[in-house]
Amino acid sequence: MTNYDAQEVARIHQELRDRLPQDPASRVGALEKILTEKGLVDPQSIDAWVEAYQDHIGPKRGAHVVARAWNDVGFKRRLMADAPAAIDELGYLGRATGHLKVVENTTTVHNLVVCTLCSCYPFSILGMAPAWYKVAAYRSRAVRDPRGVLEEFGVEISNDIEVRVWDSTAELRYLVLPQRPDGTEHFDEDALANLVTRNSMIGTDRDLEVTAPGED
Amino acid sequence: MDGAHDLGGQQGFGPIEVDSVSEPFNEEWEGREWGMAQCALTPDITIDWWRHCRELILPEDYLTRPYLDSWAQTDFATYIEAGWISLEEVDHRGSLIEVDEPLDPPSTASVDDILKDERNHAVRYHKEVESKPLFSEGQNIVTNKEGVAGHTRLPRYVRGIKGVINAYHGAHVFPDLSAHGKTTHQHLYSVVFACADLWPETQNSKDKVFLDLWESYLTEA
Repeated sequence: MTNYDAQEVARIHQELRDRLPQDPASRVGALEKILTEKGLVDPQSIDAWVEAYQDHIGPKRGAHVVARAWNDVGFKRRLMADAPAAIDELGYLGRATGHLKVVENTTTVHNLVVCTLCSCYPFSILGMAPAWYKVAAYRSRAVRDPRGVLEEFGVEISNDIEVRVWDSTAELRYLVLPQRPDGTEHFDEDALANLVTRNSMIGTDRDLEVTAPGED
Repeated sequence: MDGAHDLGGQQGFGPIEVDSVSEPFNEEWEGREWGMAQCALTPDITIDWWRHCRELILPEDYLTRPYLDSWAQTDFATYIEAGWISLEEVDHRGSLIEVDEPLDPPSTASVDDILKDERNHAVRYHKEVESKPLFSEGQNIVTNKEGVAGHTRLPRYVRGIKGVINAYHGAHVFPDLSAHGKTTHQHLYSVVFACADLWPETQNSKDKVFLDLWESYLTEA
């Protein structure tokens, strides 16, 4: 039974320093072995989880949501008003998106998403978070020097654009709706989705590159 | 808790490795840890207790170990604290004793099961409450100046700072108490801060930072 004893947990972390193996793979391996032997986890279920997030649940879902919003005014309206219900229409409601909120880029606004306190991320529409999203350099600087951070990603934001940083401190999760690129008026939903990068949905990418359908 | 995890605004971490490979698991162990975290957690855990246990990782480990490695460390700590596994079993790298209250044996999940079940994991943390929210959109507030010793979601960089209520989200589970296993609901707001009010070097900036903050973190300004 969980006792919610923080002092005890601090002591356990200290103890584990010398008791756990010295590399991540062995530490995780030890955890899986102990939990499996105790009947607390089934390794085949872990295999399935890996496959689910490797092959099925990832940023393509988010790109589909964005493309639908660009192409369907009614969907966009529903998405901006109640994002969980709107992504549920596409079968994408799930882990960490029960309180999803969509923030829209415009000619005068650029949005950037971070979680300074842990690394919260909308798993069921973007899959696993990229490595850079979870490191101290990004988490510390996104709220203090967002323009500097964006420059490192090759994104220059002119001074007439306001940068809005969303720090995910509660159970709300944020998805950036990037601007639809010019010259895509005749693109269908699949072709539009192909233009949407994962980073553009977090905010570390802004002007999407246009490739003609079938060219990528 | 004024821990190493509270990273907003800290300096000295250098540039971001923007091209770091991350699709979706760099190494096999990352996928194993992700899977374990999805299908094996102590039954009475709360998300906030788990987060607090991660915050309690020694700072030198918290700041230097890969993200999902810190999940494994947190899983170990929560299992041990709850008595499901022992430190001796960690030494032994395997099971030594039976747990007191065995869980129902886990059923094997297939990819199809997971995909079909995903929708049921869109956890909602809000609830209708009788009390009326104290603040309304556009109102000026100031955040608490003092931190708290335990888990909290008011980061250091916005303490004692004036902001404006951007939106009301309803009453959500209050993390400071949920980290002690107590589920209570409190009004939650989107609060907007001017970068110029947060950092000395951004005085001329018109950029903004938005945080989702609970009512007891705020007072009227």
